Amino acid sequence: MAKTQEPFFVGWGKVPKDLRLFLICCAVGLVVGFAAMAYATASTQEDTGAGAFMGQTRATGVLQVEPYPILHVISSPHFEKGDTILLSGNGKRGAIDQAKDHDGKIVQIRGFRLDRGGLQGVQLRNGQRGLRPTENQETSMQIPVESLGRWKLSGEICDGKCLGGAMRPGTGLAHRACANLCLLGDVAPVFVSSGPIDGSEFLLLSNEDGQAVTQDILDYTAILVGAEGEVERHGDMLVFKISPETIKVAQ
Amino acid sequence: MSVKYVPVQWNKNKWGYDAVLVALVVAYILIFIRLGTPAAELARPLDYAILRMRAFGTCAFWMLTIILCIGPLARLDKRFLPVLYNRRHFGVLTTVVAFTHAMYVLGWYFSFSPQSQWLALLSSATGFGQFLGFPIEILGVSALFILAVLSATSHDFWLSFLSAPVWKTLHLLIYAAYVLVVGHVALGYFQDGANLTFATLFALGALTVSGLHLAAWFKERKVDETIIDWVKACRPEDIPDKRAAIVTLSKDERVAIFRSGKSFSAVSNACAHQGGPLGEGKIVYGCVTCPWHGFSYKARNGRSPAPFTEMIPTYNMKLEEGVLYIDRKANQPGTDVEPIIYEVAEDG
Repeated sequence: MAKTQEPFFVGWGKVPKDLRLFLICCAVGLVVGFAAMAYATASTQEDTGAGAFMGQTRATGVLQVEPYPILHVISSPHFEKGDTILLSGNGKRGAIDQAKDHDGKIVQIRGFRLDRGGLQGVQLRNGQRGLRPTENQETSMQIPVESLGRWKLSGEICDGKCLGGAMRPGTGLAHRACANLCLLGDVAPVFVSSGPIDGSEFLLLSNEDGQAVTQDILDYTAILVGAEGEVERHGDMLVFKISPETIKVAQ
Repeated sequence: MSVKYVPVQWNKNKWGYDAVLVALVVAYILIFIRLGTPAAELARPLDYAILRMRAFGTCAFWMLTIILCIGPLARLDKRFLPVLYNRRHFGVLTTVVAFTHAMYVLGWYFSFSPQSQWLALLSSATGFGQFLGFPIEILGVSALFILAVLSATSHDFWLSFLSAPVWKTLHLLIYAAYVLVVGHVALGYFQDGANLTFATLFALGALTVSGLHLAAWFKERKVDETIIDWVKACRPEDIPDKRAAIVTLSKDERVAIFRSGKSFSAVSNACAHQGGPLGEGKIVYGCVTCPWHGFSYKARNGRSPAPFTEMIPTYNMKLEEGVLYIDRKANQPGTDVEPIIYEVAEDG
């Protein structure tokens, strides 16, 4: 005659004695296993980089509006004379609305400093508190523009604000949608080159005519791409005048 | 089982089950944030939203992985059946954890723009034609939508309203959700690639789900495709008292022959509640009792004892030369069938 010693569990009844120990082991094992996975996953997270907001700052300098607003610093307590810094607005907004009427003028800016090594930026305060032309427009400072020739580069297209430290890591696929939103808000796009170009791995992007290039690059943000274009040095910032038709996803 | 719908039919086992679930989530989140992250080599502390979206996101993935392992584990080893008992609560909690992850993502990456968060989510999605760079958020949102639908319809009211086959088919969408989640992680966070530990654990989790399902399928793959009217089942002695033998009539139809002393009756192997394997159940208080959620039926007529109203099909049987045969044609649910009486010789 067939016999069975298997305990039988009914949800609304008592847990059979033979099963109790097994189920307790399952429960403890599951909780301990989850705890171990939490520790293993969290303790090996990748570094999100050193970029961050560095507190309030101010600067006076020559404003360049195209392709995206940048400031060539004349004087500042935090930046060196001749530094070139990316300007952005609050949130996922660029600084074009504040800057568009002052191209080439000497302006005073106030805001929050962003710093990621070779990439510096300022998130402007709103309105005239963030950017206004100075009364004295005389300066001896010249903004040299030097062509470095045509280059074929590989790297990642990011938004300059998050990359600078507004959101870390500010690169990578998990950040892709955020980068696209920033670019749609006219934040300056930056090409992070796989290797340094004339000493810098960060290049401000423009189209071949030196103007904003946002719409042509949205499909290629946050992934490794290859692209061709002319590289120019504006002050101490490199500008990559990308040819959109040459952008290819790297294999 | 109940004759009226209540939000949750609490009992001691469900309280215990849910306590373990809550402990699981709390332990994971706390250890991820308080112990694991401080041990990571980071130049600067992570932003609070990034840290929490990672903690809740990975937690939801492991929870979903465990949920999908429970079914095949219970097929391979019946001791896991109690883990299956309250699986719906596990699913609902997973949805809550996944939703929390989504809210942190929405409140961080999709905030601070002139658009609303949801509009920002849609307008930033580009690269649908690409493999690398595919908008992973859409995969995550789709998976979350499925989880939300399954959680919202997890109550027995929906089971009764939709009927068991429709409800069961709907809830198979959990596999679609898992595939979407795997895509969400594999094409996004996983591709960034610096966390080898997570990548390895992630791959192991997905492989375990696949492997367990293959093992369960392999165990049950032998299907009797015979087309004769009377199907040879087994000898009465082969069936333990208060237990059943399961006989496969076709790929989609199985019969459970229950023995209660010297009385033998055949009923559908599928419980009217969620299609649970009645043949793996037991006769408790005179009723066939489902191993999944404890739904009960009289063996001779497939009817739940009053005041309950569930019914399952019964089958005619005959005994020839000491062997039980089952009529392939099922009776209408609730049809009374005279049991086969056979005195099983006691051994020993």
